[in-house]
Amino acid sequence: MEPREELLKRLVAEMPDPDERGMYCHIVVKDEKGPDGKRQFETKPIDKDKIEKAVAELQKRGPEAVVGLVGMLVEPLEGDDVQPIKAKYALHVLGLCASKMTGDDARRDYALALASQLGGERSKGAQRYILQELQAFGRKEVVATLGKLLTDADLCDAAAMALVAIRDGAVDPLRAALGHAKGACRLAVVQALGALADAGSAEALQKALGDTDREVRIAAGWGLANSGADAAAGALTKAADAAEGWERIQMTKACMLLSERLVARGKKDEAKAIYTHLRDTRKDPSESYVREAAEKALAAT
Amino acid sequence: MTEQRLKMGRRAFLKTSAAVAAFTIVPRHVLGGEGEIPPSETLGGALIGCGGRGGGTFGELGKNVRQLAMCDVRFVDKADNNLFYTDFRRVLERKDIDVVAIATPPHWHALISIAAMEAGKDVLCEKPMTRFIAEGRAVVDAERRYNRIFQVGTFGRYGAIKSDRSRLTHKIMRSGLLKNCQGVHIAKGGLKVAMWSGIVKAPPQPVPANLDWDMYCGPSPLRPYHPHRHGGTHRGYWDYEGGGLADMGQHHFDPIQWIYGKDDTSPVAIEAYAPPAHPECTAMWGWVELTYADGLTFVMDSREWGEPYSRKKDRDVGLEDLAEEDQKKVQETPDPEPFPTFPEAVKTRQKPGGHAEAAHRCATLLHLANIAIRIGRKLRYDPVKEQFIGDEEANRLAYLPMRAPWHL
Repeated sequence: MEPREELLKRLVAEMPDPDERGMYCHIVVKDEKGPDGKRQFETKPIDKDKIEKAVAELQKRGPEAVVGLVGMLVEPLEGDDVQPIKAKYALHVLGLCASKMTGDDARRDYALALASQLGGERSKGAQRYILQELQAFGRKEVVATLGKLLTDADLCDAAAMALVAIRDGAVDPLRAALGHAKGACRLAVVQALGALADAGSAEALQKALGDTDREVRIAAGWGLANSGADAAAGALTKAADAAEGWERIQMTKACMLLSERLVARGKKDEAKAIYTHLRDTRKDPSESYVREAAEKALAAT
Repeated sequence: MTEQRLKMGRRAFLKTSAAVAAFTIVPRHVLGGEGEIPPSETLGGALIGCGGRGGGTFGELGKNVRQLAMCDVRFVDKADNNLFYTDFRRVLERKDIDVVAIATPPHWHALISIAAMEAGKDVLCEKPMTRFIAEGRAVVDAERRYNRIFQVGTFGRYGAIKSDRSRLTHKIMRSGLLKNCQGVHIAKGGLKVAMWSGIVKAPPQPVPANLDWDMYCGPSPLRPYHPHRHGGTHRGYWDYEGGGLADMGQHHFDPIQWIYGKDDTSPVAIEAYAPPAHPECTAMWGWVELTYADGLTFVMDSREWGEPYSRKKDRDVGLEDLAEEDQKKVQETPDPEPFPTFPEAVKTRQKPGGHAEAAHRCATLLHLANIAIRIGRKLRYDPVKEQFIGDEEANRLAYLPMRAPWHL
């Protein structure tokens, strides 16, 4: 059997080279000009069949192909070596291939193999690329591994975004991280919980309405609204009333959004209370549009 | 003066200014003399995104708009938070801004449009309206929630509605009388595929001193800087747009979508013929076929890779597709009213031609096509739930997570 390293190099070499412009287009510029006096371009076709055939071979080698391709990554790119470019592309096409196969085993093996390369000696750039692929192809089997990166300043954004995309099982590691994540990581976690509309985090998000970081306060307000947490209505309207400028705009939006979520859940009285509050408190001419929006919503509720 | 104006609001400030001006020689533009727009009809405008399309987009706001603010992430060296800004949030806080023109790259279009409407402004936003499907629905929701005016920056439908043939097709399609639509519209070429592709070989470079790169990336991943990732060539990256298909597709398909009466729905089947897509850069593709529930087919045929599309031929929809009694019903239906322009819509509060739902559905066409290219398999789509059926990977591209602190 061909040694793994040689096999990988041979199959990765089958991926397209970047063209003269550094793109996957293979525009070949002819020397002669056309009848309109302009330079002529000719596309040398990217060979779809060649790519898919090579990746199908990679797929047969399972997780060891994934790990081997990750080992070829150089992120960010440097130098003139095209192998890392091709390895990056091959790794993604391998994910596409795995996701197309019958059953879920191939995709799951792909995701677990990728996740096994996180948190160790791989460069941060390579890990970010892995997280990007897990955002596309990972599922519940990788959420625990992703959760461990939520306090890594270089990786927390990508980890949080991957968890939001995965959804299933994602709230547990996010809730666990909320207590000790700091700075940008804390913001990423709060926002991710908001994006997942996690009602179970309502108490923590309500506490975050008083955070010293304005962006955390705004993310918490949006998260509470998204989750439809009716118990948060009082805190949210209070936060909106006290805020100024951009934060007031965003907190007021959160109040409107919460009301819509409440109406959708049949809690019309609670929603009307918020709309009535906005109608009665937004007296400044510059906020007349909020008053009118609240009036319109009240009439429709 | 500026601070006072901000606190007072536009109308109150103008009223005070007019009172002071009465004791001096009063310029024509204050009185609203011949050819001049009176102050009471003048709106405060802001341009967010001051690149190649900025001036043109701002001009579409209307002749009665004064430019009070310009915002661009490349204004680090000249931002004064008075006329020049790098942070659009500071612009939207201003009470003297009534209308906003958005000409940033598309990954910012939805967020800034929504934020502007949340701040009480009316919006004209460049195409493509959005970067992914869920953004469009959020823009529609904001337009409705705040009763704002939203117009996307493509105007082909304003010309289409003047055509007798187009109006007739539109009436046939909206009548509900055509049971099995055989219509096929094929866009052949003109989608700038190779022109707007991304560089896969892009080593990082130092960030220019006048550029706020973090703000530029915004809701998209914070990548190492490369000049190809902004300034027009941003089109070649999934992080910011969707290649030539997204850039040119809304121009081409917006009037077509109106003509065929599809402003409120989306295709249910999508299939692409393309090489496997790169995860970060747009590249070559052959064609995409999109089919609606009633059988209508749209095709994007790039003519830049692989064999041209040949499954179906172009076919118009006409009265001959209907039974005789139904033909009469359509012919007796009144013609649709002309679309209000953006300035007219701002004044009358009627929806303009390129309002949020229509623009969102057109952008959705482009996103469905790109998702089919990126996923590499035939897709089924629910146009009511706005989700793919039985395809998790495709749905992940329909709703992309955003980098904090940005969210819909």
